[in-house]
Amino acid sequence: MATLKTPVVKRSLFSWIFYQNARLQILLVFIIFAVVFARVLPLEMQKRIVNEAINLGKIDLLLYYCGIYLASVITAAVLKYGINILETLIAQRATAHMRKALYHHILTLPLNFFRNTQPGAVVNALINEMTVPGNFVGMSVAAPLSNLLTLLAFAGYLIWLNPLLACVSLSIYPIVLLLLPLLQRKVNKTNKKRVDQSRRVSSRIAESVTGIHEIQGNGAFGIEGRKFDTMIDKLLKIRIIWSLYRFGIKSMNNFFTSLGPFLVFILGGYLTIKGQLELGALVAFLSAQEKLYDPWKELIEFYQVYQEGRVNYDRTMELFDVAPEHLLTSEDRDSYDLENSIEVKNLSFITDDGIRLLDDINFSLDPGEHMALVGFSGSGKSTLALCVGQLYKYSSGHATIGGKEVSDLTKEDMVRNIGFISQAPFIFQGTIRDNLLYAVSAANSSSNNGGEGREPSLDDMISGLQQSGLFIDVLRFGLNTVIHKGRLPELVDAILRIRRNFKAEYGEELSKWVEFYTEDKYLYYSGISNNLIFGTSNTEAFTASRLASNDYFMKFLNDADLTRPLLTLGAELTVQTVDILKNLPPDELFFEQSPIGLLELNTYKEVAGQLKKKKLHQLGREPRRKLLELALRFAPGRHKMAALPGLLETLILEGRSMFHDLILKDDPDAISFFQMDEYIHSQTILNNILFGKTKSANPEVQEKINQSIIQLLIEEELLETIVEIGMSYEVGTKGDKLSGGQRQKLAIARALLKHPKILIMDEATSALDNKSQSRIQKLLEHRWKGKNTVIAVVHRLDIIKGYNKVAVMKAGKIVEMGSYIELIEKKGTLYELEYGKK
Amino acid sequence: MNSNTEKNESGEFSEFQVNLNLLRDIDFFSGLPLDALKVFAYLCTQEVFMPGQYLFHQNDDDGSAYYVISGTTTLCYAEETGEAEVRDYREETFFGSLSILTNMHRLFSLKAKTEVRCMVISRQKFQKAIGQFPGLMPRIIKTIANRITRWEKQFILDHAGNWPDCRDHIGISLI
Repeated sequence: MATLKTPVVKRSLFSWIFYQNARLQILLVFIIFAVVFARVLPLEMQKRIVNEAINLGKIDLLLYYCGIYLASVITAAVLKYGINILETLIAQRATAHMRKALYHHILTLPLNFFRNTQPGAVVNALINEMTVPGNFVGMSVAAPLSNLLTLLAFAGYLIWLNPLLACVSLSIYPIVLLLLPLLQRKVNKTNKKRVDQSRRVSSRIAESVTGIHEIQGNGAFGIEGRKFDTMIDKLLKIRIIWSLYRFGIKSMNNFFTSLGPFLVFILGGYLTIKGQLELGALVAFLSAQEKLYDPWKELIEFYQVYQEGRVNYDRTMELFDVAPEHLLTSEDRDSYDLENSIEVKNLSFITDDGIRLLDDINFSLDPGEHMALVGFSGSGKSTLALCVGQLYKYSSGHATIGGKEVSDLTKEDMVRNIGFISQAPFIFQGTIRDNLLYAVSAANSSSNNGGEGREPSLDDMISGLQQSGLFIDVLRFGLNTVIHKGRLPELVDAILRIRRNFKAEYGEELSKWVEFYTEDKYLYYSGISNNLIFGTSNTEAFTASRLASNDYFMKFLNDADLTRPLLTLGAELTVQTVDILKNLPPDELFFEQSPIGLLELNTYKEVAGQLKKKKLHQLGREPRRKLLELALRFAPGRHKMAALPGLLETLILEGRSMFHDLILKDDPDAISFFQMDEYIHSQTILNNILFGKTKSANPEVQEKINQSIIQLLIEEELLETIVEIGMSYEVGTKGDKLSGGQRQKLAIARALLKHPKILIMDEATSALDNKSQSRIQKLLEHRWKGKNTVIAVVHRLDIIKGYNKVAVMKAGKIVEMGSYIELIEKKGTLYELEYGKK
Repeated sequence: MNSNTEKNESGEFSEFQVNLNLLRDIDFFSGLPLDALKVFAYLCTQEVFMPGQYLFHQNDDDGSAYYVISGTTTLCYAEETGEAEVRDYREETFFGSLSILTNMHRLFSLKAKTEVRCMVISRQKFQKAIGQFPGLMPRIIKTIANRITRWEKQFILDHAGNWPDCRDHIGISLI
């Protein structure tokens, strides 16, 4: 498509009319001609029915004309429906095309652009403001053509009926045409304001959602609320004025068109009385004139949609009318496979406000050399790295990679040769695997990369995970997966084998930290319901959330003398937990150790309120059910606000064997009891291997358990299988189900997996613990040095000793450069940074 | 103190109540209002460390504060030649108030000598909770300032004999 060459922001609204919709539009034109004909025909029939059939009293003619009348009405209706379908189709397709083109354009805009543009503005532009322009495109051929044709046909017919009468009744329309643009100008002006204000409101919403932690942390509900309210009030005012003008146009139009019949009655009536006009002609004239309204009204509406669409479209495109700084691909060559030497000469970077962030930078790196950039924050080290990586466009001087100027390279060249790990890496919603493959897939999907791209194998991915230190985390995600009944039978069998080996080899040693499922012992890290049932429910009725509504189970609790003590426990839990949590913000962190979930707090606040006024036996059915529900969840190992009375513990253990006998008698298939040789399908792989639960969240303990499990998994050759399962872990929006360290490790793994010739790291290991940091440092030193070039912005000086060059930056300049030892011996700025000022 | 935790295992006192009582005894927390103490007591967890196990490692940022409920711990310092034991800490000691206030890497390691039971609060939890009680931070800063001054005063008194040796290294209360 030739039109694609013009950037979307430069295209006019009209260019979309035939873009990928030409066939549909032409089809529309044909249908429209048919419709107009089918619309005019009844008028002629009407006249003939009155003048010929009725006047002459011919029944057969009456039937004949009525038949034609009916047929054309039906045809018109069916075709009109067809037109609507086509219009909608074209409108929706056009909107989708516009959105896609604009989105693709926005993705390529320079980073600088996004500093001044809020995500909300982009969302608003793509979702809201493209709708009306799309509608315009849908109507652009059909509406003017069909309505103008109909209008002309009726007007011609009127003139043919009675030229004088026609001229008088048509004289209204020029007046409307004169007034319309005047009003429309006002509408457009307010509409522009509306577009701008909607954008501001959207930006504000997106900003507050992003900063919700800060708002809730500071309790700034009032401040944010007021800011938003003011903006909405302003939008309200603009929208009201806008609507008033728009309805003004409609009312003005209605008023003038309804003057039509008035003129016809006055003049036509006079002419008929005087005998200069047949009655049939007057009737035909009146109804033909009435038929002018609809097409006219639709034309006016079309005009309004056109104006609104134009304003929305232009205003939006203006906002994004920024040229990308670099070409995405080159038309006439494959992407370069560059030599990985870097040379920077007299490079400066000056912001739009004239601030010199980088000033006359010079350095060169041979292939495989590693350079660390150090300096105080604000010294420009990140900016320099981003300039070399083409994410910022330097203002003057040169930066070359393999002898080619960076600013002349395409994005595709950069992607093929460079890996980038940013300070605050972004992790996208999806699985670990999706994120891991992100950089490789992006590099492979560009069309002309010389065909060297291939999907990394499972081994590649696992080695990436190991190198970045994410392996154990992913293994853990895998171990925390629940395998549903009937799935992966071989794995289930193997896990049962591992369970037996674990018990035999580590059971003794780890019993301090693991609570094994033992039939005659109380489980402090499982809820009371699990302690009673001691198994997994095979029916809906005995699942944890349903127990308190299960009459059979309630009767059992009564028989086991458990109802009253559990109610008392539930009451204590409610009062204590509500008392502790009542003033805390709804943050998941505060609810980790609470039996009451974040969303239930309000319900239990009410129950706590009732408990203050009433005795337990006075409570209604529902609050009692709530108390039981809470008590049944209570696991003293995790919920520390109440203690489990010794007597209750004994009663529950007795209850366990009572329930066992009872359910085997009444419904033997309802429960799969915890047994050493049965897989527990409601619990994680980890709990299945342990055949119990871990008691401690302490990292060292976790590590110990991990090590023993890894050993067993290796013996069964299952380690990779579990890691593969772990790679399907969903990381949440922006990866927020991962810790900061895990996010950074994932970003490192995804860059390593690509194995780039040049790696740029912008404080890439700042969130990592010492061990992971030094592991990555070792990897770079031993495997990468001499082969892959590295530029690393570094905040901690203890990791720079292995770099070939260290460049120390201060206020946008490199003040000294050399190996670590040289610089320390020189006792200059690096020495100062390391040991403080003497 | 010991009897409390024993009882907790068999179910007489809740861990929350035990924690609350302990916090009232800790300098760092003792001056805070009950509402805040309850939240902290709830957010604390109790951990058991086996002999030889580390509570935290030198150079790591574990981001937690520890109160030793029972058992003995050893403070260690890793040098090029190996790990040197600095001294032992017995029960009722509170470690790491600074590391729940800000990111910091440990200058020492702490190792369990006997079986050790600790009450632990993490920086993340502490900071989220402290954000809910705006008046608390100034009090905590005051407590820490007092502690540093008291510590140095004691140090000077204790070392009055070797004055010339320490003269170059004192003055931490002047930060």
